[in-house]
This record gives sequence, structure tokens and C-alpha cells, in this order.
Amino acid sequence: MTPAEAGSQAGPLRLVTVSLLGAVEHPALDGSPYRIDRDGRPYVPAGDGGIVLGLELGDSVFALDADHAAPGACLVHADPAARHALAAYACVGNEVRVRTGAAAGARGAVLGKRGEEGRVIAGFAPADLARLRPGDEVSVRARGQGWRPPGLPPEVAVMNLDPGILPALPISLPEAGTGTEAGAGTGVGTGTGAGTGTEAVTVGVRVTVPSRLAGNGIGRPAAAWDLDLQLPPPGPDGAGGPALSDPASGDPASSGIALGDLVAVSDLDVRYNMGYRRGWMTVGIVVHGASPQPGHGPGITPLLTGPAAALRVHADAAGHVGLTAAALRLQ
Amino acid sequence: MKVTTNADRLARQVLAGEVWPPLADRHAYRVGPDGQPFLLPGMGGVTLGVHCGDPATGYASDHLEPGASIRHRDPGANMALQFLTCVGNQVLVVSGPAAGATGHVIGQHAYVLADFAEGDAADLATGDAVTVLAVGQGLALPDHPEVVVKNCDPGLLAAMPGGTRPDGRLEVHVAARVPAEAIGAGAGMASEYANTDLMGAYAGLGQDLSLGLEGLRIGDLVALADSDHRYGRGYRPGYLTIGVISTGQCLMFGHGPGPSTLLSGPASAFCLVDDLDANLARWLHPEVGP
Repeated sequence: MTPAEAGSQAGPLRLVTVSLLGAVEHPALDGSPYRIDRDGRPYVPAGDGGIVLGLELGDSVFALDADHAAPGACLVHADPAARHALAAYACVGNEVRVRTGAAAGARGAVLGKRGEEGRVIAGFAPADLARLRPGDEVSVRARGQGWRPPGLPPEVAVMNLDPGILPALPISLPEAGTGTEAGAGTGVGTGTGAGTGTEAVTVGVRVTVPSRLAGNGIGRPAAAWDLDLQLPPPGPDGAGGPALSDPASGDPASSGIALGDLVAVSDLDVRYNMGYRRGWMTVGIVVHGASPQPGHGPGITPLLTGPAAALRVHADAAGHVGLTAAALRLQ
Repeated sequence: MKVTTNADRLARQVLAGEVWPPLADRHAYRVGPDGQPFLLPGMGGVTLGVHCGDPATGYASDHLEPGASIRHRDPGANMALQFLTCVGNQVLVVSGPAAGATGHVIGQHAYVLADFAEGDAADLATGDAVTVLAVGQGLALPDHPEVVVKNCDPGLLAAMPGGTRPDGRLEVHVAARVPAEAIGAGAGMASEYANTDLMGAYAGLGQDLSLGLEGLRIGDLVALADSDHRYGRGYRPGYLTIGVISTGQCLMFGHGPGPSTLLSGPASAFCLVDDLDANLARWLHPEVGP
């Protein structure tokens, strides 16, 4: 009997929690200290992986003159295949716990993930983060892949999301589904009820950006790779040099985008790799800051993807509140 | 007039490589745009029957690499081979039944891709040694200082129609124009390695996936709108990149036929001429094509 057959007989499949082991990453560079920015200037990439202090959820993605800086510690694994598994199974909101070193016992949460070789971004209270050291062991209570919240329209896919964190995000399901683990785990939810497919899930986001701004991550699997958004630095004198965007392009203003925000990308389908599909919408959480490299920028870990009619987004440039340290109890 | 270059100041290097096999893993399947699992050939080894001038799409294939796919066994030497080899460079087969045959580089795709006449390609096999006469990196256009040249053999540039116009712009003939929405895997990578996959060319699939690029041919020169490939590959309104389609059909989502980068700069520095004959087969590959 295949898992799918079992599910059809027994109702929704129960989620599995897997305890994974990561190690706090040390930044790594090639033989040259330089990378080349979008204007052809060499720069030394500070903040790309490892532990970054002084950057928190809610800070602007342009707050630091850094490269892909994330608000916390990046977790990796020495074995490449185990590292990919760590990135693929970890979900936003998963609990993490430090096992060794001066911060042993400290609790944190997964904020997001990064691609290519695979990294999990873990957030901690600032005092705990300051006690971390590269090489410290951290366990990740991975849970969420394979989950569908009750009431989610059938056309919409969810990924990379711990069920327990759903209530803390501005995501409104069309009916009674509360997004609790009990609903998913026991089949009590009413997500299979007649008529749910005609109702949309609605999500509050900071901004919707067009798919032409999708950079590194396009064509890669959204379960294990973030999507960099090629957003222009704010203002003519903004960090990173001259504005990438000219007003005629119609690209959105990016100055208000903060770490932890939900952001939508139009005409993007991320169910089976990330790619262009007219009429679709993808919502992700902003997990790292800007990059001087061409084709790179603030990155999102995708959470929801579906036809725009079933996945409706409401952009609120000034009032949006995404994932916060308070919601994750990291303060 | 033909564009003035520094071609007489470029170094020519003799590089070595070998025909490299297709690579797979024990899981076999990959996933298409609608979740369809697939197992399709096309990348690595020697792909027969597809040459410059032929349609890029319409094959039961994924990441189709026309002709021979070439690497070097040593990782450092391989990166030198991938970075220094340019479109239009001559490739000489030095071992196996096809020894003595010559072809031309049509692009990079984490392999160096070389097109040969069909009869010669049919005699090639994995492991056959080839010599690449690499020249082109560092090619510059003194009369067009805003335009950066990449991966382009000086002989190719000299053979291409167009050149410096009286108004100072660089005239380039292109077979297709590509919107920024089509840029897929490859964004954010170095423009001297692999290529830029174009989405919206999934022949035979839904209209919601189409960006009107199903008619591309291998070897076509194309213009990428709002793309700046001078120092890597990124979105930049008002910039333009010229590339040559070096790979074909893809089913993997977010991927597609891909151009290797040749020229990049502000759009205002170029004068594009739509020309369906703008294809490598016309200038460099009289031995192949229709």
C-alpha cells in the first residue's frame, strides 16, 4: 500500500516530526576575498552565513552594508547530503535548541532557509545569539513538510511552514480551519468540505513584486532553496550604489521591506521548482538581507503558492506585520 | 562599418578536455512544470541529430546539449576550460575514431558545448580527447566603451552582421527578443559559466507557461531585455544582453533553452535589427545545419 492509498482510507496523513542536527556555520570564502558587485566593483562579502549579530526581525533588508546577512545563526551539516536534508525538512517556526557550547540549552526558532548547499537560518534571543560560536551543535525539531492546513483551497500548496506558527502570520483560511496541529493531525479539520475550493486563502503582505525581479533561486526547489528578489536599493543614495530601478520600469518601491515580512511574487509557481506561470501567486517570508551581487538580493523562503484567484494577497506597505521575535518567543 | 576590436592583442591558449558522460543518480526522475515525473536524455555525452539552425525545442529531452559536452578531469583546470572557452572557438578531436575532426564551440553549460558535423559527431564517444583553441576573453570594443564582451571569439564578432553605426550605436542582428519574465535558472551566476535558462518555451504545454519562445533555434542570437550580464547576471531595467542559444528543450520547471552571454550594456548603446537569419549556422558552421 502506498502512502497515498493509506491516506485515502484513513483521512489526512499524520505529520512526522524529525529531530535533525545542525552545526552553527562558519563563513567560508574562496582564495580571493573579493566578489564583484552589480556595478563591477570588488567587495569583501561580510555577513554571508555564520552568526550575524545586531540584525533582527523587523529590521530593513537594507539595514546593513552586507551580503545576504540573516538575523541569527546559519546551521549546516558537514555531510553534503545531510545538509540538504537539514535544509529541506526544516520549516519556518520549528523549534531549535543549542546542545553544546556556551549557549547550550538556549531555545530558538527556524526563521528561514537558504539554498544551493543548504542553510537553515535560526533566530535566538540576542543574549543567546551572542553566546553562540561556529561549530556549536543545534538540534532542529523539523515538522511541517507534507502538512496542509484545514480549509486551504485545494489549488494552493503550502510548504516550509511549521503548523504551530500559522496563527502568528497574517494568513486567513476561508473557513473554520485554525491551522492548529490538532486539526492537521486528527482529521478534525473541515478542509475537505464541499465548496472550500471556491474560496480563497487571503494573506497580508508588505508588497507584491513582479516575477521579473526573481533572481537566484529561480528554477530551483522551493523546499530547499530561497528566492532572491532583485530589489533596487532605496533612494538615489541608497546602500549599494545607484538605484537599480528606473521609474519607468514600474517596479515596486523596496525601501520598507523588513526581515520577517511576507512578500508576494506574481506570476510565480513554486510547487515543482520555482518558475514563471501566468496568473499564479507565491507568498514567502523575507529571511535575509540585500546583496551587492547581480542577480541576488533580499531572499524569501516560499510558504504558499497557487492560482491568484485562490491565493489572494493584500499589500500594506506601511502597516504590514510579518513574523516577529515576540511571536517566536525569542525575546 | 565592422566594429573595431582589440583582437590582435588577445592571448590564444591551447586547452584540453574530453567528452564527458551524462550524469544521473539512482533516483532517476525529475519533475516538470505540472508535477509530471520525467526521465529524459540530452545533457552530457554526445547528442546527435541537433545542430545550429535546428529547432531548440520540440524534443523528448531535458537540458538538451547539441553535439559534444566537454569537461576537464581536474577541477581547477575544468574551471579554466569553462571560463576561457568562447563561442566560436575551434575544437579539434585528438583521440578515437573521430580524431582530426573539427567543430566549434556554441556555448557553455557547465560543460563546454561543441557542435560537429553529424558524421563526425556520430564517431565521438565519452572519453574522447579534444583540444580547444581558446581566444576571446578580454575582447573589447574601443568605440563602444559601455558594451562588455563575454565569451566571444573575435572571428565570430567579425562574421556577425552589424557593427558600428554612424550614430555611434552597436548594431546587432537578433533572431528573437526575450522579455525579462523569461529569465530562469542561471540568474545570479557568473556570465562566463553555464548559461541563462529561458522559461516560456515549454513546447506543447499550457498557455499559462508560454512567453512566446517556442520558436527558438539552436545558435540563434537573442536579445534579453532588462538584463545586465557585465559582472554576473542580473535584472537591470534599461540594460540589454545579447546571447546565443546554446542549449535546447527542457521539461524541468524554471529551466529552458539557454543563451550563453556575448554582449551586455545599456540598451541605448545598441541598435537591434530583427533578423531570422541571425544564427551561428550562418556564419561559423557551414559543415552543419540544414
